[in-house]
Amino acid sequence: MNPQYKKGVLELCVLSLLKRRDYYGYELSEYLANHIRIAVGTVYPILRKLKNDGLLTTYLQEESGGPPRKYYSLTSSGHKQFEKDRADYLTFARTVEELLEDGHHDEK
Amino acid sequence: MTKNEFLSTLAAELKRRTIADTDEIVSEYEQHFTFKMADGYSEEEIVAKLGDPVLIAAQFEPADSDPDKLRTKWMVRGAFVVAAVPVALFFLMLIVTAVTLMAFAMSFGALAVILFADINVYSLIPPMPYWNGAVFGIAAAALAVLLAVGCVYYVAFIRQLARAYGRLRHNLIASVSGTAPLPYLAVHPQLGGKINRRLRLAALLSFALCAISMLLGIIVAVLSTGTIEFWHAWNWFAMVMVR
Repeated sequence: MNPQYKKGVLELCVLSLLKRRDYYGYELSEYLANHIRIAVGTVYPILRKLKNDGLLTTYLQEESGGPPRKYYSLTSSGHKQFEKDRADYLTFARTVEELLEDGHHDEK
Repeated sequence: MTKNEFLSTLAAELKRRTIADTDEIVSEYEQHFTFKMADGYSEEEIVAKLGDPVLIAAQFEPADSDPDKLRTKWMVRGAFVVAAVPVALFFLMLIVTAVTLMAFAMSFGALAVILFADINVYSLIPPMPYWNGAVFGIAAAALAVLLAVGCVYYVAFIRQLARAYGRLRHNLIASVSGTAPLPYLAVHPQLGGKINRRLRLAALLSFALCAISMLLGIIVAVLSTGTIEFWHAWNWFAMVMVR
């Protein structure tokens, strides 16, 4: 898959996960790497970019028996951006799906 | 590749690309190793899953480092810097107008006080019978209120215009640097329905009161002096010549 394209979708996935609850970086990268074929290391650059864009904020939280974890949380503009990107993506994906399925029928 | 090799390669690459917060980024990967090793993975396994540190470092490069985009961004910023002087002068002019309006409102308020209290300090105003003056005083007070309402509305307008301009600037820069724009702002004052209605009522009432009492004052003056040119009956201009 086109890496640039995959990156955009990954951003959307990160926002979607963070809409449910706050995650720390390791959790997010593990979750995504387990479900989508990507190098685990590529999730951190995405988190940093989203934070620089003002869509995420971070905070440190002490955990028993370990270093403090850096949690990521959606900002209000993060919420807005997610709703917009989600709608855009779903429309786009539906169109592509319809096109691909039509093509499949014609071949038969 | 070991954990230390991975982290030092990553740090070196990030530094080479002059990416901000290198230490913070590296410490996040270091934590990743800590978590994974606690789960029993070896350093080599973790490195293999993370990917090539050189490629990872490249992904921290901000998207707008594309020279073309960067140039447009700085051009837009530059245009706003150049525009800052005329824009500041324009807003200064608006503010000066507001101050003048406020001074007008206050001087009509002072005139009303002088007429009501019958204290003509330093003969600031031409002489006239007290009761006739009091009617003109009502007109002056109403005009002061009308001007004050106008001033409040005008200041709200200037404030909103400044905010809208700031938002326009923010969004233009955001659009060339590829970040999310904020909603544009309306130019007319956003005072809220209740305040808006009250201001409009105050303006209407004071305008009506000013017009009626002005007219009434002139009628009373004409009737009491028996001439249309009541100012001559009161010796307004003669007084000036005597002085």
